Amino acid sequence: MAVAEGDVTDETLMVLYQRGDRRAFGALVKRHHRPVYNFALRQLRSTESAEEVAQEVFLRVVQNASEFKHEARFSTWLYTIARNLCVDQLRRAAHRRHPSLDQPLGPAEGAHTLGDSVADARPEVSAERALVSTQMLAIVSRAVEALPDEQREVFLLREVANLPFKDIAEVTGVAENTVKSRMRYALDRLRAALSEFEEYARALR
Amino acid sequence: MDCERFDRVVLDLLYDELDELTGAAARRHVDGCARCRNIASGLRATREVGALPSIDPPEGLELRILEAERRIRERLPLRQRVGRAVSVLAGYAMRPQLAMAALLFLVIGSSLVFLRARPGDRESVLVTERGVPELDSDSVTIVPMSPDREAPAAHGAPPLASAETREKSLAAASAAPAEGEDRQSAYESAMVLFRDRRYDEARQQFEAVAQKGGAEAAEAALYAAQSEKNSNGCSAAATLFDQVPSRFQETRAGYEATWQAAACYESLGAPEHARRS
Repeated sequence: MAVAEGDVTDETLMVLYQRGDRRAFGALVKRHHRPVYNFALRQLRSTESAEEVAQEVFLRVVQNASEFKHEARFSTWLYTIARNLCVDQLRRAAHRRHPSLDQPLGPAEGAHTLGDSVADARPEVSAERALVSTQMLAIVSRAVEALPDEQREVFLLREVANLPFKDIAEVTGVAENTVKSRMRYALDRLRAALSEFEEYARALR
Repeated sequence: MDCERFDRVVLDLLYDELDELTGAAARRHVDGCARCRNIASGLRATREVGALPSIDPPEGLELRILEAERRIRERLPLRQRVGRAVSVLAGYAMRPQLAMAALLFLVIGSSLVFLRARPGDRESVLVTERGVPELDSDSVTIVPMSPDREAPAAHGAPPLASAETREKSLAAASAAPAEGEDRQSAYESAMVLFRDRRYDEARQQFEAVAQKGGAEAAEAALYAAQSEKNSNGCSAAATLFDQVPSRFQETRAGYEATWQAAACYESLGAPEHARRS
């Protein structure tokens, strides 16, 4: 019986891969490599590091595929690996100053900044809206970047990885109430940073 | 729902993680509470404005991951490869179709085993038959049985043995017991004659055994009377049956002979004798 790729759960795909179905792994990569990359990018603020982490996450999945249990949630497992790799990267880079939105994301001269990447994300809007969007998204990115590590981590797992609070608690190893508390603080900080754009956001609706 | 409870679930409401009932209660509370409505709308607006755009990963990242996966699989140690192979096989083994096929194979296989067990395929078959059809007769004669010996089931029932075996037995039985032959073999010789319906000779040999005494004496006396009955009828045998219980008191043969005597007297029309027996 043929099943559309979109209908198959991550867990089923993982079990298929455990049985040797490499197409199932391809489907998992197609489904998750983008959010994993974005999560790592927002955490590490470096395209090189984010790409390295994204690649390493899936290689760990391959190496430890036999340990995956069907009862577990694949996304929880995946982001636990991603989170641990990001924590390791941040520790190694602790002595270096974190790059900001205005710094090049890559090593090449003239490379894009994170602010440029954000601004390019919605090219279809009008010039005036594009200008406001560019400013707003740059502020959003800065505001997220300025969040304390614990709050940023929870915010990204919820907003980028789209994990429910219960799973975030599992990934981060803290209680669900603590996760919600961190998320609430993160949103309050963002709200303060973005207060001037709220009216604009309402107008866009 | 009150404001305190709403504060605990407001994030779940924002991200649609509430169950239907709690979500409905939270929305009702928001409708009637200005404070909580402001909180909910503020968080929703922040979430909308602060939504992070998804940034495209570097071109070829997906392909590089798949290529790395291929390399890792090629370098997998033998142990892990075997583990994966077992996992694959186990996955197939757990499929219901395969289980049904195995069951069908088992059923067909066991049927073949039973079919092969028919006797036609064997070179020779040994058959032991127990019991034979009754002969046409007006009356059924109850034949006393020796505890350790097979007795005929009905009057005149010959023992089941090959013709050759029976001839040998008869030849041995016809000859008088040799000097020194024990009572056991004399009794068996008499029984062979009895089974071959040679009742006069059987009666004589049974009486000889009964006269000599011993463990077989009572049974021999009973069979002597039975041989007489089979040969000359109840009128001749009734007296012989009558004598057995007095000679061999408190024995099974004695009780059996009493019963046979009563049956004979009954058939001879002498109920008084029968009652006395």
